[in-house]
This record gives sequence, C-alpha cells and structure tokens, in this order.
Amino acid sequence: MSLQVAKRDLREVMVDSFISSVQSGLNIAVLVSDSTSTAKISPFSDKFPERLINVGIAEQSLVGTAAGMALGGYVAITTNAAPFLVHRANEQVQNDVCYSNTNVKLMGLNAGVCYGALASTHHAIDDISIMRGFGNIQIFAPSDSIEAEQIFAYAFNHVGPVYIRMDSAQLPHIHDHEYEFIVGQPDIMFEGDDLTIISMGSSSYEAVWAKRMLAKEGISAEIINLPSIRPLDHRKIVESLAKTGLVITVEEHSQHGGIGSLISEIIAEHGIGCRMKRLGFPEGAFAVSGPREQMREYVGIDAKGITKTAKEMISL
Amino acid sequence: MKNPFEFDHARISKETSQIRKLVLEMNHSAGQGHTGADLSETDILASLYFRILRYDKSDAHHPSRDRFILSKGHGVGGFYCTLMQAGLLDKTLIKTYLGFDSKLPGHPVRQKTNFVEVNTGGLGHGLAIGVGLAIAGKKQNLNYRVFILTGDGELQEGSNWEAAMAASHYKLDNLIWIIDRNRLQLADFTERINALDPLDSKLEAFGMELHETNGNDPRSLIDTFESLSENGKPKAILAQTVKGYGVSFIENQPSWHHKVPTESELSQAMEELS
Repeated sequence: MSLQVAKRDLREVMVDSFISSVQSGLNIAVLVSDSTSTAKISPFSDKFPERLINVGIAEQSLVGTAAGMALGGYVAITTNAAPFLVHRANEQVQNDVCYSNTNVKLMGLNAGVCYGALASTHHAIDDISIMRGFGNIQIFAPSDSIEAEQIFAYAFNHVGPVYIRMDSAQLPHIHDHEYEFIVGQPDIMFEGDDLTIISMGSSSYEAVWAKRMLAKEGISAEIINLPSIRPLDHRKIVESLAKTGLVITVEEHSQHGGIGSLISEIIAEHGIGCRMKRLGFPEGAFAVSGPREQMREYVGIDAKGITKTAKEMISL
Repeated sequence: MKNPFEFDHARISKETSQIRKLVLEMNHSAGQGHTGADLSETDILASLYFRILRYDKSDAHHPSRDRFILSKGHGVGGFYCTLMQAGLLDKTLIKTYLGFDSKLPGHPVRQKTNFVEVNTGGLGHGLAIGVGLAIAGKKQNLNYRVFILTGDGELQEGSNWEAAMAASHYKLDNLIWIIDRNRLQLADFTERINALDPLDSKLEAFGMELHETNGNDPRSLIDTFESLSENGKPKAILAQTVKGYGVSFIENQPSWHHKVPTESELSQAMEELS
C-alpha cells in the first residue's frame, strides 16, 4: 500500500455523511450544545436547518434531548466536544442512551488532547475507558477520513447507541480507497515479524511512520489499527501477538481503560506469552498541557517515541 | 386516538383506592419499596391512565400515543399498580416485584415492561427526554403530547432547569410537566434541605404556563389537564400532594420514603382504604 499525502478533517467527512444520509432517506437530527463551530456543521444546517437542534451550553440537556428525539423516531446525533460529553453528561449517556438503548450516536469531537494547551478541563483522555464501562454501546475510533466515512455509514444505519472518538486534526490518509472497514475487525495495516504495534484513531498514522523508521533499522513491525473497539473480534490480534511475542499499544488516551487495557485483557484471557508496553498518558495523572505535538512527544506516542520504545523492547 | 377508559372523577377515585391497596400489598410482599412516593402520585397516574392519556391498550408502541415519562423513577410501585389496574400489566406479576430478573424492577425499565417509555431512576432525566420527544412530535407533525412526572425534591437537580429553558425556547406546548409537590424528600422536608419555594415563580420565570392543582384530587387534576391549550407555551402543573396520601399513619412522614407496611400496618391500611 502506498501512503497518500492527502489529509482531511474528519468533521468535514462527518458533515458530508449527515447530508448524504438524509438524502438517502435516514431521518437524522443533529444536536449541538452551542458547538456549531466545533462540529463545523454549517453545510448541514444550511441545507437542512429544521434538522439541527441547538440546546445551548447544556450538555445534560443535549444528551437527554437526543434520547427523546431518538424515542420519537429520529436517528439522533450529538456533536460536541468529547470532554463535555463524557464528563458533564456522563449519567445521561449511561441512563438515557446506553441503558435505555436509544438510537443515539454520540460524536466525541476533539477527543484526546486535541485542545492541548487549553489544559485538562478540555482533554478527554478517558473517553474510551468511560464508554467501555457502559452496556449496549458500540465504540469506534476512525484513523483517517477514508475509514471515517465507512464508520459513519455503518453507525448511522445501526439501530442502537454508538460512540465515535473524533479528532480535530487534518489526519493524513493512511488507507487507500480500496480499504474496507469491517465492523468488529482489527485492521492489519502491515504484516511484520519482530513486534506488533497496535493503535487507534489519530495515533495510527504515528504507528505507520514508526513502521517506516523501524524498517530502516531492519526491524519488521506488524501494524494493527483498531477502528472497532466494541465490538471486537480477538482472533487476528491473538494470532499476531502469538507470532511476534512483543506488543506496543499506542493511544492518545490514558493507559487506563483504553486499548492498552483492552489488549492486556486479551493477552491475559488467551494466555499468550507476550511482552507488552502501553504507550499513553500515565495512569493516575492528568496530561501536561501545551502544544499537542509536544505533548505527544513527551509521553512517547509520536513516531519517534514509538520507534524508541520498539528498539528498547527488541534489545531486551 | 382516545383514552380507552374516559372515566369521570368519581370512578377514578374508586380506581385509586384499588391502586393504593395493590401498592401496599406489593411493597409488603417484596419487603421493599418507596411507599410514600407510590401513594403520593397515585391520583395523578390514575387521572392520566383512566382519563387523560390517549393510547391503545393493545399497542404500547403506537406512534400516535401520548407519552408518559416517570422521571421520579422511584415511584415505580405506584406506576406498575396503575398499569395493572388499567389492564396494561399482568396483576399476577405483583409477587415478582423486585425479584431476580423480574419484569418489575425497582425503577422502570423499558426493555422489561410495556408502557415504560424510558429507563429512569437517576433523578433529573425525564424532562430533557420529554423535550426531545416533544420536539420530535412537533417536527414530524405527530400530535401526541408528552407528560413528564417529576418529584419536587428532584428539582434540586440542575438538569431540570436546563431542560425547562429548552422547552420554553422551543415553544413546546405539547409538553406537560407535572410536579408531585409533596414537600418531602429522602432526608427531610424540601424546604429544610434546599428550599424550592417560591417554586411557582421559578417555573413561570423559566417560561412555563403554570397551573396549580390539588394533586390528590382527580376532579381538580382532570379539570387542570382538560384546560390546557396549544398556545406556544410548555405547561407546568404544580400538583400539591401529600406524601403517603390515603393512609393516615403514612401521610407526610419522612420515614415512609422507603418503608414498607408490616402485617398489622397492612391490615389497618386496607381498612382505611375500603
């Protein structure tokens, strides 16, 4: 596969998907909590103003209202910043959406540390952990716009709660247009023999860059992208870890409760002899704030950091 | 679509005695329950299900049905017994209340029980859900109405006021918010814990069309519900009630929030209700 230089903001893809879904007959309502610019929603609201509900700066109301609209027959989609969704509206997400099993899609915009310098009130480095604690909900993290488009198409047509971890960056295309997202399946991007690197969302391009850097030093890394966090078929992950016996997980998320935890569970439950390193924000700590790239470098989840960790693990 | 009973207030009062007896039997049998809340709201629920709500007894999911949300989910005992008395829920389930994997769990669960619209129990959720349902109805030209019953202590949850602002902003005159104003919450009287009054002016300030009524009198309740009009304003019905209404030794006693009757208390209560 050749890497594309093209980049695209996932939110633009999201808004295009809203428009095309309505045009194809889906009864979509989009809800914002004053987050119209966060969601870059104007192309949708210009076309379908009657399908946009703005409840103001009121996230509990946002999620409860979405659940009500879903009960009233809509595919109700909330679009606001992930920290205010998963933290402020936590009980509404649990009771009104997950437990009540309403047809609500929660778009966790600008998740991770997209808002780097705005500090920890604006970070969501625990969103996957929180959503994994709830029943009924499916959880996805697109890594580029090609994958995102397919995740949206699936999610909006699936009847039931969905959380999608979204990024604010112009993410580089790491898939070609032949790529097929399959719900529940890990995406084996590159095969390799020396170690496995597993990543999600905006960390997956860093893993792909790391693969190239490692290749120059004669290290063959298998790269697995995890767009479908729940549901997740473990089989291909188990096969990879049994083959390489060495795994690094990479996520712009706390080491607790994200894909590092998920892979640890798989290793333990399947009894795989595999050494592991979880890269992410240290458990029990808030992220140090600052420019996002520096934050990623600081915790070693950028390509350089992944490469360094890989070499250290291989040399042990 | 019509109410399947359309009973008058006198007939509804008879139904409320039967519902209260069912509540006491059920809570006694389970050894648990929110008896005070169940009895406080009985007249409101009976007025809705036997007169006001438009629904199809044989189709709990009819798209044109009026929606009812029990935001004060702990009042589920009164809700189940009203549904039973209206023939919407099997009375033989009464012995399964609060049992393992029961169809009658301790807060309403839509996956378990017909005519439960949404799962409640955490307080301060029902009004926003009602707002969403009311918006959905308006936007799709469905002429159902949305009734939400909250407690009064529950209004200490800020989420209610977020939802009230939205209800008013979106001119949801198809939304009827009923407040079971029994003036008691778990620990004590509401006005001692974190005062709600002046609740009437608060509701009006949030853009509600305010109606005050005797929430333990089906005649007052029916008159109030039937006076409502579509005038661009959401409705708030401040239903003045007595917690534990109908049984002298339960009425207005904070300790009966989640106390259940003993054998002798049950006999005495049954006598009072006959």
